[in-house]
Amino acid sequence: MKNYIYKISFFIALLVGTVSCNIEEIVDLNGPESTAFAESLTRGDLQDLIGGVLYSSRLRLGTYYDDCGVIGREYWRFSGSDPRFTTDLLGGQNSVLDNNTFYITGPWASRYRTVKNANLILGFFDSQDLSGQFTQQEVNAARGLLNTFIAYELLLNLNLTNEGGIRLDVSDENNLGPFVGRTAALEGIQSFLTEGASQLNNGGGSFPFSLTSGFAGFDTPGTFRQFNRAIAARVAAYQGNSGAVLSALNESFLSLNGDLNTGVYYTFSQDQTDIANPLFISAGGSSEAQARIVQPLFVSEAEAGDTRVAGKTIQLGETITLDDLTGDYIVNRYTSLTDNIPIIRNEELILLYAEANISGNSGEAVNALNIIRNSAGLGNYGGGTDSASLTDEMLNQRRYSLFAEGHRWIDMRRYNRLGDLPLDRPDDDVWSEFPIPLTENQ
Amino acid sequence: MKQNNLNYRVLLFLFLFPCFVFAQNTISGTVSTDAGEPVPFANVIEQGTSNGTTTDVDGNYSIDVGSLPATLVISSLGYETVERAVTSAGTVNITMAESAEALEEVIVTGLATSIKRSNSANAVASISAEKIAGTTPPPTLDGALYGKFTGVVINQNSGAPGGGLSVRLRGVTSIQGNTQPLYIVDGVYVDNSSIAAGLNAVSAAAAGGNSAALLQDNASNRIADLNPDDVERIEILKGASAAAIYGSRAAAGVVIITTKRGKSGETKFKFNQSVGWTEAVNLLGLRDYTESRVLDTFGESAAQDFVTAQSQGRIIDYENELYGEKGIHSITNFSMSGGNKDTKYYASVAYNNEDGIVRRTGYEKLSLRMNLNHKPKEWLDLSLSTNFVNSSSDRGFFNNDNSGTTIGVTLTGTTPWLQLFPDANGVYPDNPSGASNPLQTRDLVTNNEKVNRFIMGGSATIDIFKTDKQSLELILGGGLDVYGQQSRALFPKELQFQKPANGGLNGVSIQGDTQNKNYNLQGFLVHNYETNNDINFRTQLGATRLFFDQNTQLITATGLVASESNVDQAANTGVNQTRAKVEESGFFIQEEINFQDKFIATLGVRGDKSSNNGDPNEIFYFPKGSLAVNLNNFGFWNEDSKWDAFKIRAAYGEAGNIPPIGGKFTSYNSFSTDGLLGISLVGIKGSPDLAFERQKELEFGIDLGFFGGRISFEGTYYIKTVEDLILRSALEPSTGFTTEISNAGELENKGWELGLYTIPVDTDDFLWEFGVNFFKNTSEITQLDVAPFNIGAFGATLGTYRIEEGRSATQLVGIGPNPDESGFQVFGDAEPDFQMAFDNVLQWRNLELKFLWQWKNGGDNVNLTTLLSDLNGTTHDYDTIDLDPSGTLGNGPYRLSQLGSSAEVFIEDASYLRLRELGFYYSVPDKFLDGLLGGAIDGVRLGFSGTNLVNIFDYNSYDPEVSNFGGNTAFTGIEVTPFPSSKRFLFHVGVNF
Repeated sequence: MKNYIYKISFFIALLVGTVSCNIEEIVDLNGPESTAFAESLTRGDLQDLIGGVLYSSRLRLGTYYDDCGVIGREYWRFSGSDPRFTTDLLGGQNSVLDNNTFYITGPWASRYRTVKNANLILGFFDSQDLSGQFTQQEVNAARGLLNTFIAYELLLNLNLTNEGGIRLDVSDENNLGPFVGRTAALEGIQSFLTEGASQLNNGGGSFPFSLTSGFAGFDTPGTFRQFNRAIAARVAAYQGNSGAVLSALNESFLSLNGDLNTGVYYTFSQDQTDIANPLFISAGGSSEAQARIVQPLFVSEAEAGDTRVAGKTIQLGETITLDDLTGDYIVNRYTSLTDNIPIIRNEELILLYAEANISGNSGEAVNALNIIRNSAGLGNYGGGTDSASLTDEMLNQRRYSLFAEGHRWIDMRRYNRLGDLPLDRPDDDVWSEFPIPLTENQ
Repeated sequence: MKQNNLNYRVLLFLFLFPCFVFAQNTISGTVSTDAGEPVPFANVIEQGTSNGTTTDVDGNYSIDVGSLPATLVISSLGYETVERAVTSAGTVNITMAESAEALEEVIVTGLATSIKRSNSANAVASISAEKIAGTTPPPTLDGALYGKFTGVVINQNSGAPGGGLSVRLRGVTSIQGNTQPLYIVDGVYVDNSSIAAGLNAVSAAAAGGNSAALLQDNASNRIADLNPDDVERIEILKGASAAAIYGSRAAAGVVIITTKRGKSGETKFKFNQSVGWTEAVNLLGLRDYTESRVLDTFGESAAQDFVTAQSQGRIIDYENELYGEKGIHSITNFSMSGGNKDTKYYASVAYNNEDGIVRRTGYEKLSLRMNLNHKPKEWLDLSLSTNFVNSSSDRGFFNNDNSGTTIGVTLTGTTPWLQLFPDANGVYPDNPSGASNPLQTRDLVTNNEKVNRFIMGGSATIDIFKTDKQSLELILGGGLDVYGQQSRALFPKELQFQKPANGGLNGVSIQGDTQNKNYNLQGFLVHNYETNNDINFRTQLGATRLFFDQNTQLITATGLVASESNVDQAANTGVNQTRAKVEESGFFIQEEINFQDKFIATLGVRGDKSSNNGDPNEIFYFPKGSLAVNLNNFGFWNEDSKWDAFKIRAAYGEAGNIPPIGGKFTSYNSFSTDGLLGISLVGIKGSPDLAFERQKELEFGIDLGFFGGRISFEGTYYIKTVEDLILRSALEPSTGFTTEISNAGELENKGWELGLYTIPVDTDDFLWEFGVNFFKNTSEITQLDVAPFNIGAFGATLGTYRIEEGRSATQLVGIGPNPDESGFQVFGDAEPDFQMAFDNVLQWRNLELKFLWQWKNGGDNVNLTTLLSDLNGTTHDYDTIDLDPSGTLGNGPYRLSQLGSSAEVFIEDASYLRLRELGFYYSVPDKFLDGLLGGAIDGVRLGFSGTNLVNIFDYNSYDPEVSNFGGNTAFTGIEVTPFPSSKRFLFHVGVNF
């Protein structure tokens, strides 16, 4: 009998034992917490964190490019599962752009997420003594890269909201900075770039991490700085400051006689945790359910013999119609699920060089435009060399050279020429900007 | 030795409690059943006094009466009460008959104890085996609850074989936390997960910004594993006032399931075989195509195809082709039970094989159970339940997608003049008007879930101490629920949408493996103390410890080699692992005071801590209190009054709902960029000080009974508030986060529950039992600390749920011509106006007819199946003109004309009236059986039964019961091309021997 009593006592003891002991704090089992690196950041951690910035910089890019491409009348986006590409974005009938719909909320939040990923890393640099892990130069180099990324991500959001502006200071999520208008935003973006460039200057010979193949040739602090300056040249062009464009180009990788495709790219793969190129739809897979149909004037208005048309589009066997829009060319700028998308490349830099020289050195502008024309199989420019004619020509070359790379809408807007974009249906509208997302509570 | 033992025990506890002993006229004896088994713990009371005792485990009693002659009243759970006049002291043995209404008598409400129904202060509903599976075998155990309880709303997510139901008790209890009740089977906390198979890799249902990816995979829920035929009784604690003792997991209610156990005596064998078929409840049919309509909608070449097909008699109803199958069902149950005084057992085998209404879908289950009770010593009672389940379900490829690949979505764009059948070589043509050929998808895609599950529960009840006035019991228990679930989805490369030329991935194989291990330990002390003036005190003290551990690995391989399905035979492989681990610890104390069965009061408190809380060691307290007053025990009316029962009751309690796993963390997720690993935030900000949602419920009720149980009525009103609602609120996206998880709101549910049960006719030959129940719930968001937000659907253009202070928690809003100040117009509410059920049992001699009607009145759905069909011009009512107020547009064009300006047409009334269950049985009279096998056969029953045989609804799709986002959400009723629901016809033969 005593046996039983002992056994019972054992059970009670076991029970009391299990209950009285504390519940262990369970950490997140499925991923590192955002505070995990605040006190000890290793080289391996920094590599992963930088990899995260590269990853999130590509989130919802397809939506961003479709926003720019559709409103800029480069192409139409057909989607069987979402009619708003052909209603809201084209301003069909009474449709307007909504402030709580994927076309603005998706890319907007993704760009700011990348900014947050970058700001967290900058915070980790500030919160600890890193001398055991990194040299000061390596930290400088990383800071320079991150500030360049922050500037570029902010620029993409500003491209969507334009005069509506963006928040520049978002480093403290509990105390966000105010929205600033376009002019102040562009200045703010330039100062991130300037700060980044000077940090890269003091960044030594190499980064303490590796980058993707999209940065081939730009993967040291010195060469990455050329990329930083290329972005600065674009921003300066948006600011209308030709002098600043030229001085930034001077420190960039501009090469008038170089390969037009030299530059920095987003890269993609079909790895399960990666993103595939969001802008590729094959000819066979194009139907009214999903397609990017080239706006017909892009083909019909092209100069005879322009190889860029044939290179960037494919004619289908039959037309596809959706929502009163009919076309038979699809966008072929990107040719596979793993094709790269340019962030900035030499062809744009040459065009920026031409643009910045129009008022001060029209000969140099014509020279640069001819480089572009010749590369597309066209003869030299024969039109007037006054500012207006050269601007027309420059915008036209940008239209074909940078097709489906997110520029047409922004270019026409900064030259106040949105009214020149074609309306495909009588009640369509060309929007000048997206509303600020609802949840920004503006 | 024995004496020694008693001393030991008395010594151990004597100092705790006073003990009284009186010497009077002593009557003693044994209480036993008709079969001679002892009846333990029967109450033996001297009539007209408060003097009484209970029998021991062997049925022995001894009582000292004040004077002789006296009348003893012997009562026990499950037996008819016996009154025996005794004239002299000495031995009086008593035989008790089993009660027909045994189950009504007692309800399990506590963790360790039960209470007589007549004394309960809560409206606790219970149903017995007969009601669970007696009319017709329910497809899954949760499906057996339809219409049988007030306040219980059950919704089927899809018609796919193998289950997938949600159960909601007394309204919405959580917006973004768990909404499903806690299931406890024989003391084991049983997991009810729905584990997604990762089909999003193909369907891309979550693209376009809808993050509820995994919910749209049409997964089954794991309660489907339990065999309904094994269940003896189900009790439902609907809200905190009844469930407070279950603490932090009880806010969504508790479903307590008790399985069958053996009885001592002759071994009983039961064999039941059911065979039948299932078919679609409702197919929509073809649009009324004419050449001009085809020309108008689809253009010239389609019109030519249509004319050609028509002339060749090749107009094919693909809906019927896909959903028109009759699936054969076979259900086999065999059980064996018996035992002796010390050891009793119940063992069962069940095998189900059920084909779906879509070819290559189906459900197969093998369930083995062994329940054992053993009493090695008179003071020790051991109980063991074990259940092994092996199930396999083929669920097809349905629900929302953004790739035009699921069967449902593709069907909406499939016109009847297309030729999609394979040629003589078995090669399927590509569907020229869609991304996939639905016949090919049906015939080649595999989506299978396999489960191997072991559930085991054990308890030991130890009588530490017992006198005629008091007793102390120690109850120790534990439970284990272990399962492995495999999901295998295979999309071969020859599928239209897998061909690289069509932008496909060249074959996808998705393999998921989940290991789940839950275990719980508990210990209780129960002290009963009875005073001389008939006031009983029952004190309970207990502690529980819970552990949950789930690990899911999902491997997605694309670019398959040849016809291989192994995930390493592929160009690209991705792995995803999700772990969920929770530890909880709780204790409770409860005091129950019973004053002469007139006033029964209960007070208790539970304390809980959970690793999911911001501070895992902070204890949260959940108090409860209740009072029941039995007015018919006051002697207001005399013994032969028509009043059997008149009880008024009130109960208050609090319970919690644990925060979502990981809700307190702001974490990185890992990704890759062109081969380079990276960790990125995912847009969700955790809340380090996240805490339980807390539910507070106050319930009032009245129970009446008349005419010896022929009429009884139960009415309950409740007010239930949920504080600290866990919400994912929108953050300014420029923070880098789009949502934050926090405790930020409060909601309230109020409702009525009425039940009337009658026996209008009860003669020797004919019995008619009739029950009707009615319930209604309304909810309101009473406080919202975050901005109002849309949730649970596809946005305001198409109609969405919206959480807004001062509004119903389940309102459906959308864009519309007359928006209110929020910018949206309210078009409906998912909450039904009321629900009713009518239950009938008719018996005439050897014939038995039972049927259950269930009526849901009101409650709206968002019907996007119709929208998708309209967009493709294929809707069955596309040309009917009865929606357009101006009477000019057909329904299809009218609905499309509203797209973008009003969501009204997508929000539809989802009322229904169903003949849920019908059973008709014939018991073969004994005289025909006597000669068989030497009379060894005790009974043979033949019958026919059905589920959902009659379905009446106006809803413009397959079934108003649907949920694209699965079961664990407050927001069911969103429809996107589901697996259509089905009705079932079964023939039965049952033999007892």
